[in-house]
Amino acid sequence: MNATPLLSGRGLRKHYPMGSEPVQALRGVDIDIFAGDLLALRGPSGSGKTTLINLLGLLDRPDSGTLLLDGRNTATLSEDERADTRRDRFGFIFQTFNLIPVLTAAENIGYPMLLNHVTRAEMMERARELLAAVGLAEKENTRPDLLSGGQRQRVAIARALANRPAVIFADEPTANLDSHTADAILDLLQRLNREQQVAVVISTHDPRVVERCTRVLTLHDGEIVTEPTA
Amino acid sequence: MNRLTIAWRNVARNRRRSLITGGLVAFGFVSFTLAGGFMAQSFDGLRHNAIRSGLGHIQFADPRAFERSEETTLEFGIHQAGAALKTMQADPAVDVVMPRLEFFGLVTAGGTSIPFAGTGVDPEAEMRGSDIPKTVKDGAWLKSGTRTVVIGRGLAKLLNAKLGDNLTLLATTPDGTLNATDVTIGGIAEIFIKELSERYLALPLPLAQDLLTAPDTVSRISVILKESASETAVAARLHDRLNAAGIRLDRRLWSDLAVFYQQVRVLYIGIFGFMGTVLVIIVFLSTFNTTLMSVTERTREIGTLRALGARSRRIATGFVLEGALLGMASAIGGTLLSLVITLILNLSEIHMPPPPGMAKGIVIHVQVIPTVYLLATLSMIVTLAIASYFPARRAARAPIVESLAHV
Repeated sequence: MNATPLLSGRGLRKHYPMGSEPVQALRGVDIDIFAGDLLALRGPSGSGKTTLINLLGLLDRPDSGTLLLDGRNTATLSEDERADTRRDRFGFIFQTFNLIPVLTAAENIGYPMLLNHVTRAEMMERARELLAAVGLAEKENTRPDLLSGGQRQRVAIARALANRPAVIFADEPTANLDSHTADAILDLLQRLNREQQVAVVISTHDPRVVERCTRVLTLHDGEIVTEPTA
Repeated sequence: MNRLTIAWRNVARNRRRSLITGGLVAFGFVSFTLAGGFMAQSFDGLRHNAIRSGLGHIQFADPRAFERSEETTLEFGIHQAGAALKTMQADPAVDVVMPRLEFFGLVTAGGTSIPFAGTGVDPEAEMRGSDIPKTVKDGAWLKSGTRTVVIGRGLAKLLNAKLGDNLTLLATTPDGTLNATDVTIGGIAEIFIKELSERYLALPLPLAQDLLTAPDTVSRISVILKESASETAVAARLHDRLNAAGIRLDRRLWSDLAVFYQQVRVLYIGIFGFMGTVLVIIVFLSTFNTTLMSVTERTREIGTLRALGARSRRIATGFVLEGALLGMASAIGGTLLSLVITLILNLSEIHMPPPPGMAKGIVIHVQVIPTVYLLATLSMIVTLAIASYFPARRAARAPIVESLAHV
């Protein structure tokens, strides 16, 4: 494990208003993400896994606490800087795939590169390369509605890798997949983590996912309760 | 893949909704361009009427005649009319020169005397340069060298006179004495303004000059130009040539004198502007609603794009681009539709009620005005872009996690 974390959260707190009583989603979480991590965030529904991923991925802001990215406090970043950071440093994989329906598989993968002003030729070359890496080379021009759930998630993984991120956040990436497809997706994430040294943070309550990860954090009622080493 | 193709695919994504919105925009476009084309026809008709009613393209007179009315007969008359006419006729851009001598008098038939507004004209020049001879419905227009006159139907009625009847004209000469002459009714003109019809009397210019004992004198000179001539340039040139000949006259363009034309123009433009504003508001509101629906349906997609690193402004401008593209596509469709409808209308020869100031109805002829088409296209594109911007901006600024959780 590297000594300097990519991401370092201290005392992260977040609450959501719900009726008269606010829900405490995170109650002072300390967390470090290192390069090459394959980290599982596990816990029951409502334990704060997704909230923590949202904060770490700069999709949301904590009520209190600090989050450092490469040693820089992310609280000082403007909205545009946060967007640029997500584009350049992070990749996201969602439970419901969230592919853009009007774009082909290759174009979905190319979209983050389009945001990065990559030339069309470079973009398509990289998209084809990533499609091949996730085993979907022949689906380059296929729209998402013609892909199976597993294929969509593979495209989503390839999209997450498009701009060569430092960290990929995957929120319940296998929840909507059958066990066979889920295994294939986990194999892929493991391989990419190993080969490309990209840190992967997976929120899950699937034991099979947890088994594959090198680090596991267990969340309960918004707090980290254990950090066993796999 | 670029922003334009993504925007276009999003427009085509919900075909039915885009078609309905585009259809409404095209309808607005067609309404706008047809109204503009019809208005242009009306303006042309009014312009033609104003020029051919005797104003001419350019009018020359004593400078004072343009400022106030005469208190005595020919107080502001042009006394070297022959020389002035000759100078004007010599210009290659001039088609017809129409001298006019205007005066007031008393006309008597039998035991009835009625005041009249007389106009001495060159009958042949009027035939070529004005539509006034066409108002003669009974009898014939004036002929040079005769003692026949044309009177309004209203005046004929007041005098209880008919074609061929003799009349006595009495008028005050420039030196204040009274003079009279006998004439015969050669034609009766149909003038649709009652007050004018009851006072109208036209006679050959030499006869009017004899009556007023004012040889070589006219009140004003109207000039009709050849088709391609520039009114302003010819007016200035003629003015210089008259000055060089020692004839001091002032000039006015028809547009300066046609007050009615200008009033109707302002009125029409006001109506057109109001109609255009209403259309733009309707298009805006319906597009706003459509974009709102589209944005709501794509909330999660917006959240995803933002998670991937798209800035809020980029997402909002994407929707604006979609609106602009839909506006442009609708304008293209509207242009084709408008041209087809214009062709059908122009071939159908539908008769429209008379426009203001015109006695007769007109056959509809919608003009194709490129400026109106361009303006309508820009209006539609801008309206749709603005209508798309506000809902998109709101959605693009919403918290990402809320957008991603949207069902």
